[in-house]
Amino acid sequence: MATLPPVTDDAARRNLRTGLMAFAGALAMLGLGYASVPLYRLFCQVTGFGGTTMTATETDAARAASLATGQKISVRFDGSSAMGMPWTFRATQATDTVTIGERDIATYTARNDSDQTITGMATFNVTPEQAGKYFNKIQCFCFTEQTLAPGQEVTMPVLYFVDPAMLDDPNMAGVEQITLSYTFHRAEDPVNPDATRTN
Amino acid sequence: MGQRDTRMKMAFLAAVAAGLAAFAPLSVAAQDAAPAPVAAEAGQVEGAQTAPGPEALPGNLTPTEAAAAPAAEGAYTPMAPTKGKGMPTSYEDDPLKSMTFQDQYSANGEYALWMHDWILMPVITAISLLVLGLLLYVVVRFNRRRNPVASRTTHNTTIEVVWTILPVIILVMIAVPSITLLARQYETPPADAVTIKATGYQWYWGYTYPDHGEIEVVSNMLDEAEALKRGEPGQLAVDNRMVVPAGVPLRIQTTASDVIHAFAVPSLWFKMDAVPGRLNEKLLTIPEPGVYYGQCSELCGARHAYMPIAIEALPPAEFAAWVKAQGGSMPGEAEAAAPAAEETAAPEQVAALTAR
Amino acid sequence: MATTAEGFDAHHDQGHDAHDHADHKPGFFARWFMSTNHKDIGTMYLIFAIIAGIVGGAISGIMRVELAEPGIQYLQWWAQFMGGANDLNTALHMWNVFITAHGLIMVFFMVMPAMIGGFGNWFVPLMIGAPDMAFPRMNNVSFWLTVAGFFSLLFSLFVPGGTGPGAGTGWTVYAPLSTSGSVGPAVDFAIFSLHLAGAGSILGATNFITTIFNMRAPGMTLHKMPLFVWSVLVTAFLLLLALPVLAAAITMLLTDRNFGTTFFNPAGGGDPVLYQHLFWFFGHPEVYIMILPGFGMISQIIATFSKKPVFGYLGMAYAMVAIGVVGFIVWAHHMYTVGLDVNTKMYFTAATMVIAVPTGVKIFSWIATMWGGSLSFKSPMVWSMGFIFLFTVGGVTGVVLANGGIDDNLHDTYYVVAHFHYVLSMGAVFSMFAGFYYWFPKMSGRMHSELLSHIHFWTFFVGVNVIFFPQHFLGMQGMPRRYPDYPEAYTFWHEVSTYGYYIMAGSMIFFFVNIAYALLAGKKAAANPWGEGATTLEWTLPSPPPYHQFETLPVITDAHDYHDHRPVTA
Repeated sequence: MATLPPVTDDAARRNLRTGLMAFAGALAMLGLGYASVPLYRLFCQVTGFGGTTMTATETDAARAASLATGQKISVRFDGSSAMGMPWTFRATQATDTVTIGERDIATYTARNDSDQTITGMATFNVTPEQAGKYFNKIQCFCFTEQTLAPGQEVTMPVLYFVDPAMLDDPNMAGVEQITLSYTFHRAEDPVNPDATRTN
Repeated sequence: MGQRDTRMKMAFLAAVAAGLAAFAPLSVAAQDAAPAPVAAEAGQVEGAQTAPGPEALPGNLTPTEAAAAPAAEGAYTPMAPTKGKGMPTSYEDDPLKSMTFQDQYSANGEYALWMHDWILMPVITAISLLVLGLLLYVVVRFNRRRNPVASRTTHNTTIEVVWTILPVIILVMIAVPSITLLARQYETPPADAVTIKATGYQWYWGYTYPDHGEIEVVSNMLDEAEALKRGEPGQLAVDNRMVVPAGVPLRIQTTASDVIHAFAVPSLWFKMDAVPGRLNEKLLTIPEPGVYYGQCSELCGARHAYMPIAIEALPPAEFAAWVKAQGGSMPGEAEAAAPAAEETAAPEQVAALTAR
Repeated sequence: MATTAEGFDAHHDQGHDAHDHADHKPGFFARWFMSTNHKDIGTMYLIFAIIAGIVGGAISGIMRVELAEPGIQYLQWWAQFMGGANDLNTALHMWNVFITAHGLIMVFFMVMPAMIGGFGNWFVPLMIGAPDMAFPRMNNVSFWLTVAGFFSLLFSLFVPGGTGPGAGTGWTVYAPLSTSGSVGPAVDFAIFSLHLAGAGSILGATNFITTIFNMRAPGMTLHKMPLFVWSVLVTAFLLLLALPVLAAAITMLLTDRNFGTTFFNPAGGGDPVLYQHLFWFFGHPEVYIMILPGFGMISQIIATFSKKPVFGYLGMAYAMVAIGVVGFIVWAHHMYTVGLDVNTKMYFTAATMVIAVPTGVKIFSWIATMWGGSLSFKSPMVWSMGFIFLFTVGGVTGVVLANGGIDDNLHDTYYVVAHFHYVLSMGAVFSMFAGFYYWFPKMSGRMHSELLSHIHFWTFFVGVNVIFFPQHFLGMQGMPRRYPDYPEAYTFWHEVSTYGYYIMAGSMIFFFVNIAYALLAGKKAAANPWGEGATTLEWTLPSPPPYHQFETLPVITDAHDYHDHRPVTA
């Protein structure tokens, strides 16, 4: 274009290289933005950040049990249903006192109050948040989707233990009760993302 | 209750400096800071049900009178708020009070307010005035007329080091009480704390009391005219308050059903987001009975401004009466009534789960 | 004024060529719609920013008038004007639409285009002795993407967005209010508008980085660049690293809204808190994107009108780099109440306070630049001095908010509103007015009225302080943000704040009259109207500069000291 000031080929090539490098930097950050979704999940799962619970195997449970010192901790069980989820969902028992390190079981009940079959998915976290790292679930209804027929009521168990390692963590000193909280959401209907909207 | 050792050491130092040492351990604070009639009952919620009392409470008791009056079952009357307590103050009522924080009614609130008033405010005022003073000085001293020939000084290592190091020192001085405050705010509730779960909905709050027979309180904003008729501030008053016992540790848990809300009460220095699909938790102790207002503090849609929060802290005996009136039960009874059924139900359930 | 130009051979050529070859301009359409000339694009950006500023400022006027007293006064009328229903919820929704539009317009379509697109485009090439930007055609693309983004945002105001027309999510577009909480295309258009503006800014950032790295005149080392160029360089890096994260986050919002993904939807295993982390990972650097070019301008102006080189040039440059770097690791201080654990909150409290150190270095260095100087209080200088004071006030309230425990009470209250308006509406905007009055003679070739610009300054100064200072009181008393209505007790200070708005709005009349006066009847501007203190390369060129400048590159030698590129012997 005639209006452009003269630029030598060499300078143009140099500019293109710098520009591409800068743009590559931007693309990398874009990739990082997307990658943050699985990375954040992984980060939470590994560190218990945000009160994310751990998933444990039977072997882990056995090892934890061998370290149990007999000290007790109170565990609270909380259940909520998200908007648009016509289930009555609550813990069978609000609190329980368990031995740190020993596996225990808690149950929740869910009843489908609507007249259609509904699939639900539970999200969960524990409070206080620093307890996430020490709250291990061996089996949980929250690992998979749950489907309830109209009016159906089920009792769902969580098999868990509290890691005795918490006793050595200064951040856990003074924690007398851990709350395990679940929220049941209506599993997303891919065709209609506004299914949960009530207005 | 357990404390984090190292942080508590700092907390202790700062508390002494502040002259607020009385507020350090929560259980002590609960007993000492509460007015005398309440203190005796603090922490002994269970015993409260047996408290004998007259059949009805007069409607217009002042908080102190209400606190002194023993409760009666099924005779809950909403407490009348005290002007200027737990609510904003207008300029017309008190110009100075309208320009600062609301009076604080929790130990952490008083500590935070102290930190703001005696550390942050002096520092930021001094810095602002210093900069203003320097600007005025250069205007007067170095204007073109008084100083026609500019110097060409562009470096002075000493002064550059000073204005780098000095802010660092000031910031460290701020950081110590700041970290202490955080450590206190994150003290965890004891196992027997009274648990209240606040759930945000578009556009109202729901309060459940899982240890009190699953009482559920749905709390909607009162119409402005109705609020004024009841002697309450408009847009802060609600039809059903979140009633809590005064002087005992509360475990406040928040979550939301639809979008993010935030549970905030300025006079208790308390704010916690209510996030759908997640539970947040924080310890709160309200030493004094009273009504404390707050408002939703995270944009949640059209009626964001119209979902206020009203906490009514009652002496434990009256709280127990309120629980009864709501058809709930105090924790002691609940445990007796519901034996641990889950232990027996467990094996089949595990089998069911594994089969899935 | 010619004395400053004599050090450069380049300029002599310019003088001769100005009216034949170098100043040859294309026709109107080609010049303004297919422009590849950095000065023309800069001018278009400035005009665009002024228009967007009028729209955004008018919206804030609607809001301030509504807030003058408790109750809902005018929102219902606006709801119907926008094509919504005549009920309370639609009216309340309009409020959320206004706060959203005000925020997005002021951030993405006023401050950023003016600072980076306008002043950056105009003066980065001039200050480093380059003939134009590295990628002139891409520069044009950047501008028109920004314009398209603005139209997408305006369009969103008139389409359904849930409870009424328009996107009522706040500029933060938090999920799930922005996903399941807002049905209708308005939020999609608002998000798309951010995509367009963001893409424009990323291309612009690439362009600036390349230009500054590759096209400096011979001898212009990085450590000899004027501080404004440094500030744009740091800003460009922030844009390049922060905006793609926003782009990713809002793209995920779009797919969550329209294609059934569940990145931020707990029903499918997503986490709405992650959206906040991503948004603020962008959002905090964004704050510095909006203020750093202002820092650069203030440095140039203070040096010019003190007739002194800037004090502690290297400290100033690297303070900006430090602010940029630290800006990436403090984001969660915007999320103190979301449910962070104690260690996270302590870390972000400490890291946030660190920013005060380089910021303090800058404030004190500006004062030290004036110290011992021979100050003349021309319009750019008074705006700069206003900037220093008001930015300090906004900065110290930032230190208050940095404390996670204190923020528990102040989070999402008017205190935060007051804080960020002190750093933006007074920080960034004062620096833009300073820059505008500083460079207006250079850009237009005409002198503005000093009298009108001083009246503009003093009325604006009073106005914005009356608006925003009482908002600290409101915030401390507990008044939450984003409320169209409030309890009676807050009335007085809201009323005062609204009076401040009237003063501020009236003050803008002086600005527009001044521009009109200067363009129609202003004195012709000399190459350097500001005297011996103005030493950077743009003042060696005529006002306005020829259409193509520096066809023979100026040479900067060791004889030129830091920042001011004047031969020491002159």
